[in-house]
Amino acid sequence: GTQIKDVVIKPDAPNTLLLDKHADYIAAYGSKKDDYEYTLSEYLRMSGIYWGLTVMDLMGQLHRMNREEIIDFIKSCQHDCGGFSASIGHDPHLLYTLSAVQILTLYDNVKAIDVDKVVDYVRGLQQEDGSFAGDKWGEIDTRFSFCAVATLALLGRLDAVDVDKAVEFVLSCMNFDGGFGCRPGSESHAGQIYCCTGFLSVTGQLHQVNADLLGWWLCERQLPSGGLNGRPEKLPDVCYSWWVLAALKIIGRIHWIDKAKLRTFILSCQDEETGGFADRPGDMVDPFHTLFGVAGLSLLGDEQIKPVNPVFCMPEDVLQRIGLQPDLLKTVEQTQLISQYLHLESVIYSV
Amino acid sequence: MAESEEEVDVLVQRVVKDITNAFKRNPNIDEIGLIPCPEARYNRSPIVLVENKLGVESWCVKFLLPYVHNKLLLYRQRKQWLDREVLVDITCTLLLLNPDFTTAWNVRKELLQCGVLNPEKDLYLGKLALTKYPKSPETWIHRRWVLQMLQKECSPAGSGQKEQQGQVEPQGEAERSWHTERLQRVLQEEMRVCADAAGRYPSNYNAWSHRIWVLQHMAKGNLKILHDELSSTRLWVSMHVSDHSGFHYRQFLLKSLLGELGQSWERLQSGALNLSPLPLADALQVHRSNGDGTAGAADDHASAVPQLFHEEMELCTDLIESYPGHETLWCHRRHVFYLWHHWRKNSQGTGPQSPVLTHTAALLSEASDPHNEGRSSQAMDVDCVPDSSKHGGYTQNTKRLKRGPVPPCPGLPSEHLFVSRILSSCRSPEQGRFANAYRKWLDSVIGQ
Repeated sequence: GTQIKDVVIKPDAPNTLLLDKHADYIAAYGSKKDDYEYTLSEYLRMSGIYWGLTVMDLMGQLHRMNREEIIDFIKSCQHDCGGFSASIGHDPHLLYTLSAVQILTLYDNVKAIDVDKVVDYVRGLQQEDGSFAGDKWGEIDTRFSFCAVATLALLGRLDAVDVDKAVEFVLSCMNFDGGFGCRPGSESHAGQIYCCTGFLSVTGQLHQVNADLLGWWLCERQLPSGGLNGRPEKLPDVCYSWWVLAALKIIGRIHWIDKAKLRTFILSCQDEETGGFADRPGDMVDPFHTLFGVAGLSLLGDEQIKPVNPVFCMPEDVLQRIGLQPDLLKTVEQTQLISQYLHLESVIYSV
Repeated sequence: MAESEEEVDVLVQRVVKDITNAFKRNPNIDEIGLIPCPEARYNRSPIVLVENKLGVESWCVKFLLPYVHNKLLLYRQRKQWLDREVLVDITCTLLLLNPDFTTAWNVRKELLQCGVLNPEKDLYLGKLALTKYPKSPETWIHRRWVLQMLQKECSPAGSGQKEQQGQVEPQGEAERSWHTERLQRVLQEEMRVCADAAGRYPSNYNAWSHRIWVLQHMAKGNLKILHDELSSTRLWVSMHVSDHSGFHYRQFLLKSLLGELGQSWERLQSGALNLSPLPLADALQVHRSNGDGTAGAADDHASAVPQLFHEEMELCTDLIESYPGHETLWCHRRHVFYLWHHWRKNSQGTGPQSPVLTHTAALLSEASDPHNEGRSSQAMDVDCVPDSSKHGGYTQNTKRLKRGPVPPCPGLPSEHLFVSRILSSCRSPEQGRFANAYRKWLDSVIGQ
């Protein structure tokens, strides 16, 4: 037969959560980078800071980061148009505008920036068909629809855009398998599904999702190793484990996957020496996968970590503070068919 | 080896120039790459050109990248002025090393807008970057912007503006055909770029969704291109049976063909063929496929759809049997069957041919299905057309005689038979799992 695309978790792979190591790893990240590596990733710096701060907050270690320096940096990244760039001298974009607003929300300091201008910026990017461009150059993607409404919701200004039209566009990207792609007609993709279910949660439209069908597709992302991939026949990855898991949580179907096996997979992606998580066991760690590893474990119920909100990927207590509670579909018991299907899966995997 | 700041300056400027000169010396460079080489070799440029391949020795990248990166950012913050030519060279070097640096692409957009760069040249840089970074989202995003710009340049409205600016009328026709040829060349090149990137990285979401975008924006309603794409990707997917994105592209093509065939059939029905300006290739396709008038064209369109699905399901069956245990192939089967199932349901009563064909197909597939006792009544509910008697079997049979047998198209019973056959002969546990999942899917999603 064909070798199934998956990883094998070695018996000596980490199987306990190394929180202290991860906090040290993030706290030191950025201070010891040489010119070359810093330049390579500067185009996404603002998101990088969001990943680092969020995972520190989830671990109860936010105080170890330099609050004033970060807020000053964010302020210097706001442009005349109201949008934020990834770093100083780069061009503004919705992706980094959301990251900037998320960071300021973590720090409870949104007032540090010109909020009205941010709202104007986001509003100005909405197109006639309801979609959102990522920046003034006009690229369209459902990711940007999520960035737009998430930014506005965090600022309490969702009324600034045409939400009905925006919903219409996102729904036009739904596929026969219940999933979503980047544009109408595009392939379903776990990252896009996270954005679209998150979008529908923020806009209160989750009833438009075919939750059983989408839940089925998302469950099929789990591989024998326990890890989740983002599309059929791709390797499992810690970040996809988050996106699939968060989407399942949003549509009330998180109990449809094998949580214990997923936990084992995520734990095995830790680096015992350096701290941090990699995409797969044995690979190089980075802050991106470290956030999604820790956030995934939080969704799976690990009590050493603060509860994470599946829509915003931020600590629940932060969202409670600003009074934001995005919708989640109620957890339903498995329909008979799905449970038969899942039973079948476990029987075959155990062979 | 460079050490002081001034030395780095001199070194880097020379390397940037070497890269520019390499492109001047050989305009046919078709691939870029990094040459692992930790130490500089005395008195030799780190830029190596062998045949059509451009290599950069790795030792220089750690000087080169921060330098061009910082230079561009200083310019962006209006702290340092750079000439247009320098900007072209710097962004070129920068993007070949780090193609996801959005701001550098944006600088090039501005250079395109003021005419310093031409679109084809810029698309060429992106193509080279994709040979080393075939997924690079920002490179694909930039391409879409350039293509839209090029399209605007070539659109009738664009040339109309020029005419208003005082261009002589007789040039209009020649200019139009030049624009059309230019767009066609760009479109063909774009398909090649997508195919190349798809070959370099499996299930390359960005490459395949870009290809879909190109069809949606540059070849809307063009039946010929849809058909060409369907046949040109057939062999490719057969050799990449795990490539979910490649198969999804075929699903997209089938769905588009369904839509287009349905629309042109409706246009033919309403006699609009001679009145409304059909897209050129569409009209050509109608013309080509039919020698004996519009009625024949209508028949062709109605039977073209079952033919398409028959071929795709056959391909899928063949691949599932030859390459057991590939999830992608089973996903493809779900989608293709889903499209076919819904087309059949929706086309009931709208065309003179399709319902009868469907009915016949269902009967054919049932006749050959030994285990359908329990399912036949359910299947007939789905497959049988209530008003098929209105159309009668006579026309169908005469048409059949003219064209040869219409292939049996899949129905629920034949799909269940297929699953049973696979399960009875399968030795791969994955294949068994996928076959069972497909059966469940048929029962719960289709059979509801």
